[in-house]
Amino acid sequence: MASKRFSFFSKGQLVVLALLAATPLLDVVAPSLQFSGPMRTVIVFAILALGLNIVVGWTGLLNLGIAAFMAIGAYAFGILTSEIYPFQVGFWWGIVLSGAIGAFAGWLLGAPTLRLRGDYLAIVTLGFGEIVQDGLKNLPTITKGTEGINPLPAPTILDSSLKVVEVSGETPVRWFFIYLALLALIVFLCRNLEFSRLGRQWFAVREDELAARCMAIEPDKAKLKAFAAGAALAAISGALYASHLSSTGEPSNYDFQISILALCIVIVGGIGSITGVLVGAIVMVGLNNVLLPIATQSLQRAGFASTGNVLASPDNYKYLFFGLALVLMMHFRPDGLVHTRKAVRK
Amino acid sequence: MSTVASPVALISVKQVTMRFGGLTAVKDVSVEVPQGSITAVIGPNGAGKTTLFNAITGVYEPTEGSVLVSGRDPQRQMSGRVVAGIVWSGIATAVFLAILVRVEALWQAAIIDNYTFQQPFPWMKAAGVFLSTLFGGGFVGTWLPLLVGAALGAAGRYVIWSRTRRTPDVVASAGVARTFQNIRLFPELSLVENVTVGMDRRLCTGFLPALLALPSALAERGRARADATKLLEFVGLADKAEEAAGNLPYGHQRRLEIARALASRPDVILLDEPAAGMNPTETVDLMRLIRAIRESGTTVVLIEHHMRVVMGISDRIHVLQYGEKIAEGTPAEIKSNPRCIEAYLGKEELG
Amino acid sequence: MSETEVFMQQVIYGLSNGMIIALVALGYTMVYGIIELINFAHGDVFTLGGFLALTIVGALGASAVIDPATLGEGSHWLLLFALVIASGLFCGGLNVLIDTIAYKPLRRAPKLTQLVAAIGVSFILVNIALFWGGAPMEVFGGGNAAAASKDFPELLEGSNLLGEDSNVVLRLEDIAIFAITIPLMIGLTLFVKKTRLGRGMRATAQNPVAAQLMGIDTNRVIAATFMIGGFLGGAASVMWSLYNNTISFQMGFRAGMDAFTAAVLGGIGSLPGAMIGGVLIGLIRAMSDQYIETRWTNVVVFGVLILILVFRPSGLMGLKQREKV
Repeated sequence: MASKRFSFFSKGQLVVLALLAATPLLDVVAPSLQFSGPMRTVIVFAILALGLNIVVGWTGLLNLGIAAFMAIGAYAFGILTSEIYPFQVGFWWGIVLSGAIGAFAGWLLGAPTLRLRGDYLAIVTLGFGEIVQDGLKNLPTITKGTEGINPLPAPTILDSSLKVVEVSGETPVRWFFIYLALLALIVFLCRNLEFSRLGRQWFAVREDELAARCMAIEPDKAKLKAFAAGAALAAISGALYASHLSSTGEPSNYDFQISILALCIVIVGGIGSITGVLVGAIVMVGLNNVLLPIATQSLQRAGFASTGNVLASPDNYKYLFFGLALVLMMHFRPDGLVHTRKAVRK
Repeated sequence: MSTVASPVALISVKQVTMRFGGLTAVKDVSVEVPQGSITAVIGPNGAGKTTLFNAITGVYEPTEGSVLVSGRDPQRQMSGRVVAGIVWSGIATAVFLAILVRVEALWQAAIIDNYTFQQPFPWMKAAGVFLSTLFGGGFVGTWLPLLVGAALGAAGRYVIWSRTRRTPDVVASAGVARTFQNIRLFPELSLVENVTVGMDRRLCTGFLPALLALPSALAERGRARADATKLLEFVGLADKAEEAAGNLPYGHQRRLEIARALASRPDVILLDEPAAGMNPTETVDLMRLIRAIRESGTTVVLIEHHMRVVMGISDRIHVLQYGEKIAEGTPAEIKSNPRCIEAYLGKEELG
Repeated sequence: MSETEVFMQQVIYGLSNGMIIALVALGYTMVYGIIELINFAHGDVFTLGGFLALTIVGALGASAVIDPATLGEGSHWLLLFALVIASGLFCGGLNVLIDTIAYKPLRRAPKLTQLVAAIGVSFILVNIALFWGGAPMEVFGGGNAAAASKDFPELLEGSNLLGEDSNVVLRLEDIAIFAITIPLMIGLTLFVKKTRLGRGMRATAQNPVAAQLMGIDTNRVIAATFMIGGFLGGAASVMWSLYNNTISFQMGFRAGMDAFTAAVLGGIGSLPGAMIGGVLIGLIRAMSDQYIETRWTNVVVFGVLILILVFRPSGLMGLKQREKV
């Protein structure tokens, strides 16, 4: 893992990022499928999963409620940028501030849970996910309840005449590349952390907390930083999601299923590996948000799914596929699709 | 064997007793470790040797007695900074709780009521409304959450501080390093990474430079890696630098643990049964290594069962049995001490 | 209603709900105690128990053994007990099946792998419940709205046992809950303390390797644990469906959350802890619903959990485990 020379990205990461960069070409090939839009959600969930990877993969803290921070980020972005509130800081500041607020929330969750053993921590983080959802639902004055806060701004960039211009649904490719650039930046930053002193502290805490302590590392501080970093990334992903939808959506969009989706991306991709997370995001979100709706649409067009029969619509098989995928992966390839960690013969 | 260099005791164990419920594992044990020496603690299994190490390094808190490192008690001291932290924690929790309890009303009054669409927002007025609403909630709405928050925040901070006064990281920062009887490496990390973790207390790159891969951060990364490689050479493991630590054979794992402990350039290193499971050739190498550690300026304390190692390199030996110290002296003195022979040496003759 | 009467009513709600939660919590804590796995699928096994119960009611009605229309009048104790046993056995068997197929091959795998497998099973079961809800039976709404909740009939007569004029309402349903859950809990406690299998369970929970060396068939013990835990969950699901007059394919999630919170609160792995935790959570929920606001109840429960865990990280009755260095 420790590189002898500094490089911006690992080979695997370059490959994946290049693949992603090529997806707008699919739009040229099959314009009716409109990939650039759904591919943005792949990027959003990749960033979410990268945040979870820091907490679960690198530091070994089981967090089952990462969706809470995504929600916090989405709503923070909504509140800070929407015209119904006076802040209106604009897209870029919205992203940055949402990340900061997310970090603070992560620190808040981490503080009382430092002493908790793995499984207890899991249930507490699960509960936290629930109450953030409840809190957002039950404060409609602030969050506009099930309506969500909308509309929200899209990214702004300088165009050829150096004027600030907002991308929109008309320019989905440009929008996609802005998100891809953000993803690349985040991958770069995560990679730096991976090889830094803090990253090593995280790994040490994961492997053996007591031994780490005897090396003058303070596991509590390291864990708090992990929570904060993971939450910051999750919040940023939420903000990007809200911008993509031009709405925060409703609180129940950020429920347990999102947390589990993120966990599965991390695990299916290859726990602890940034490249693995990227691959996992493409696979899982691609399946869920891209292929499944297309299958449903095609079947509907072919006239199948119109009956009330629950077995006829592919959408109703979502949980089954998801669950089967998880169980089968754990039985046959538990290390994930990509593993860059050295194999330790048990 | 070199003579004991100076009268300054690097580690001073003063009448330490360790009780776990009804079991007394260590009873009234005192040990002085002179600087620059190699001191051994021996005794039959269950004599309390590792427990003593744990009491010294902060894994356990001595039930009675004290441990001094370089003449000082390695504990976090109460200071102005700590008090400020407690006060700040109380205030922050209080305000946070007060806001949380009435967040909807506050939001309504401060933001929504004052905001007209697309008109400039009166920030000062809103701030005023916010404060007046916050403090205008009466007892249940304002003062109760403030009080509860302050109490929780301050008490919590204090409890955390007092519970972590003498944790292992505090002792380690004072210059004490150790290895473990049951080898506690980081199995999924490479050898180089294991050693680099060990030198954590010597590193000083901040969060931002590391995050952005600034030249200063990269430079320290390079230096750390070079130092780690040198340490691996010192213990003879440099050829396996990138392998996962969990894949090493047992004897090499012990050597890696020693390299990792040395990485922080400690004043004293505590070795817990470093020769366990080693064959005669390996023990000779180990004795050479321990002497080299002492030559490089680090004081050594070791727990060991291999009598050849203990007698061969120790300056001073302390003998424990059933948690009590029964003898102390030079190897020659211990060899001829009838109590020690009876308790321990008679049964033990290893390679 | 006077203040005392309001309070008493909440106590009744709290205890009734709490006992159901306690039963489900026992299932979680038993499995965790023996193989250190959070059986995520437990809540969904619970769900399927409720679906089975409704299916039986519907089948009996369709075959005219009983008339669903008359279920509202009178009390059908025999039917109720039959459903409890049927669901219990079904859920117990299902639990064992899940362990054999999904968990047992992963016994030596890292904890996270096992947890993810459990999550996967949970999702599969949710989908099965969804499909089940679309079954073309009248009780399921004729198979048109698979995802909608279904009504569960009133099997017991609903009048107030404390008299028509009393402000506090205590019904046969509440009595039934106690009549079923308490014997089950006592039975479980006796089983674990007195029988050989029960001792084997306790031994395996404390030290699986030593238990095996002593000649205890740990596989049998683990299977028995899943069976019993599942049985309790099935019984609980019938009571839950009866009490709430509804089933839905996602009912396991809320019940599971509450039950798992209860198990952790009481100290996971501890049977008395799960029982106490369940009752506590039930009472807390009832009191919060009344004296704070229903919409904040989940937050209150979570807050209580955090508070207890900060001061007692192993739960109320959990044992502090000192790490061996």
